[in-house]
Amino acid sequence: MAVTARSIAGALLALLGPEGLSDDDASRARAAVDGLVPRWVARPASLEQVCGVLALAHDAGLAVVPRGSGSSLELGHPPARADLVLDLRGLDRVLEWSPDDLTVTVEAGITAGALARRLDARRQLLPLDPPGAGARTLGGLTATNASGPLRARYGTLRDLLLGVRFVQADGVLTWGGAKVVKSVSGYDVPKLMIGALGTLGVLGELTLRLHPRPEAEGAWLVTAARPADAQAFVVALLDSPLQPNRVELLDGAMLGACGLGPAAAAVVADAVRAQGEAVVALARRAGSTVAPTPEDFWARYEREATRGDVRLRVATGVDGLAAALDAIARADGGARAGGCAAHGLLDVALGVAEPPAVAAVVARLRELVAPAGGGVVVQRAPRAVRAALDPWGPVDAGPLALMRGLKDAFDPRRVLNPGRFVGGL
Amino acid sequence: MPLTRAVVEELARILGPDGLIHSAEGRLVYECDMHAFYKGAPDVVALPSDAAQVQAIVRLCRREGVPVVPRGSGTGLIGGAMAPAGGVMVGTNRMDRILELDLVNRCATVEPGLINLWLTRAVQDRGWFFAPDPSSQMVSSIGGNVGTNAGGPHCLKYGITVNHVLGLELVTGAGELVRLGGKVAERPGYDLTGVAVGSEGTFGLVTAVTVRLLHVAEAVKTVLASFPDIEAASEAVSAIIAAGIIPAALEMLDDIMIRAINEGSGADYPKGAGAVLLIELDGPAAEVEAQAARCAAICWERGALEVRVARDEAERALLWKGRKEAAGAVGRLAPTYLLQDAVVPRSKLPAIMRELVAIGARHRVQIANVFHAGDGNLHPLILYDDRNPEELERAKAANEELLRACIAMGGTVSGEHGIGLDKAKNLPLEYADADLNFMYRLRGVFDPQRLMNPQKLLPSHPACGEGFRPARPRLPDGAWI
Repeated sequence: MAVTARSIAGALLALLGPEGLSDDDASRARAAVDGLVPRWVARPASLEQVCGVLALAHDAGLAVVPRGSGSSLELGHPPARADLVLDLRGLDRVLEWSPDDLTVTVEAGITAGALARRLDARRQLLPLDPPGAGARTLGGLTATNASGPLRARYGTLRDLLLGVRFVQADGVLTWGGAKVVKSVSGYDVPKLMIGALGTLGVLGELTLRLHPRPEAEGAWLVTAARPADAQAFVVALLDSPLQPNRVELLDGAMLGACGLGPAAAAVVADAVRAQGEAVVALARRAGSTVAPTPEDFWARYEREATRGDVRLRVATGVDGLAAALDAIARADGGARAGGCAAHGLLDVALGVAEPPAVAAVVARLRELVAPAGGGVVVQRAPRAVRAALDPWGPVDAGPLALMRGLKDAFDPRRVLNPGRFVGGL
Repeated sequence: MPLTRAVVEELARILGPDGLIHSAEGRLVYECDMHAFYKGAPDVVALPSDAAQVQAIVRLCRREGVPVVPRGSGTGLIGGAMAPAGGVMVGTNRMDRILELDLVNRCATVEPGLINLWLTRAVQDRGWFFAPDPSSQMVSSIGGNVGTNAGGPHCLKYGITVNHVLGLELVTGAGELVRLGGKVAERPGYDLTGVAVGSEGTFGLVTAVTVRLLHVAEAVKTVLASFPDIEAASEAVSAIIAAGIIPAALEMLDDIMIRAINEGSGADYPKGAGAVLLIELDGPAAEVEAQAARCAAICWERGALEVRVARDEAERALLWKGRKEAAGAVGRLAPTYLLQDAVVPRSKLPAIMRELVAIGARHRVQIANVFHAGDGNLHPLILYDDRNPEELERAKAANEELLRACIAMGGTVSGEHGIGLDKAKNLPLEYADADLNFMYRLRGVFDPQRLMNPQKLLPSHPACGEGFRPARPRLPDGAWI
């Protein structure tokens, strides 16, 4: 029997109630993704409702765009279709916090800020701090594999996500992983959901590993005359028994934006205070100068790092950082960069905004980092820019075929975020 | 179905004259891993020396519909590196080179047959190490560690194998040689590396591994505390974690193990203690000092009989000696044992240890304990005499009951050993049909013919079959259909 918009609307309404569904012009326009205006905006209040919506969408052939805070809707290719936007911010409960186990299970729509406020009572921490994380949902942070400065010590979601409850494209509720800190029971399904942009399932609940908040820290600003000197300091720091929490490399422009400098580049490292002397000695040996970092540095840095309409993440080796900084400065005089140097990452806000100019910068940087196995992903840019280049960059044919195989196996009808992911999946 | 002569000849052509074992006595060596309960010899054993040979083997087996079973050092504990359906076993022992050391980027690329400890030995003079440290690390291969996602005492702080694998080279079950992940972070796309680690050879055969190396810490401190009983020691473990201290390792041994170790190894663990905790802290010197003092105080508060702090490397080695020789010491307790690997939330340790004592009493079996207490990963050894079939039945019943108790407390079937043939049947205790079916389909993406290490990891269960459809949500009445 034919599926009509009218009968779908009726079914959605029966599922979600009037408070959970909008189809007025204003709501639809607000929820537009890259200019595609959805026919419905669903705001489920329970995971059961998410299952129902996806079962319906699957059978009716609708394209569903899951979203949290909406901060990363400009990540990836412009979507091929967008019939229904699934706003998950209503699923924001802490389901189970076991402080003595250092684990927490939350609904995916909770923001990192709301969770942090709860955890603070027991001096615990989910060490996930990409710029603006406080307002972003944990589901969104997981789906985009976001990371910030604390990655230097604590790693990424790969090291933090223990279990995940998700809804498959056809509405089937599924669990993967475990609620304990150590498990090898079956395939590590949570890994598959990290950074997948919701294309294999909609994230519903997350079980996460927590850490004790570190003891008293100090932060040191190590300024260098040349990017190469900053890189030398990073290499020396990593090849030492010091245990920094954050190792951020900033270019001169970012340093200036944070009210520091002038210098060609700088590294901000923080660690327990007792290690301060050793940090200073290492910096001097690498030919850099050391100063205490202003109290509000990390807040300033976070604010500056969220700016920019066109933002890239450049991944290179630790030994490729200086060359990348030089290339960025040459390619775009208005760019500024800062990133997790311990993992060879630079987050770059470009000065140029015209699609061909951005495409040229991205192409040059990709050419630079490709030999070392690096890449450049456009984290955020207007639709016109992302239509003029491949925001993800090239993926080898072998892995891409497996990724396509996964998408074919778990979302053959292309319900979930169609077109946005790597290879147009 | 034994291999045809034509297939064996083709394998011999791929591998050269000394790359194939097909004599009956030669194959016998390969009939089991260290879980000797499960036996199944392969039809032939292939010993390739490079990825091209591995790929040629897989393509041939795929064409002929022959099972392929990977094997590293055979030290697994799950009935993994054995061939219940025959076929070709691929031993990675000849592929044991370190391909690249890149200390600036803190990583190494190695072949799968490389012995775990050899990697640390290659970099320790320069201050680096490879963190996953299963007790078998002197003999187990990194490929095997990757296959089972192996753990070890120091995983409490540093994470299990997957947290240290940056990239893999893999011959998939479809016969394709693919490179997943790599030295540089942030590859766009799905984390295929992450999901392939721990797939126990059911996705394909790993031919190279890129791993993270860690720098040794500024300071390390080892504390040994003895307690009147295992419950008090469990309370101390929970209190240490709850105090926000993540030791590098936090190991527990019970009285049965203490006796066996003292008799066997000459390690001098406190006699008469009901349990011993081995606590190792590493990190910045100042932090380690403070945390060691805090751990000692917590142990005293929880009724410790004695607390020893190692003053130097020699004393530290002595404290660890008993723990490291525990597996060997078990032999003096009973002819055979069943080994569990279940996990409970660490705050539930006191409760599960009470339950364990009760289960042992109910089934009249002796249960010895030596385990990774800090992450709630139990290793109860259920002792029995295999000459007495009735005793084996009681041991099995106790094993099953304990596993169910762990899962009822929110735990899981395996913390670090893996699933293999041994625990596949237990997965439905932990996962619903839809979850199992997802895993079944996931495996099919990498190995469409399901020839790679058959019968391992996934259970024989309706949800792990082609025709199965998980229950879907009911749509509201009045929908269009």
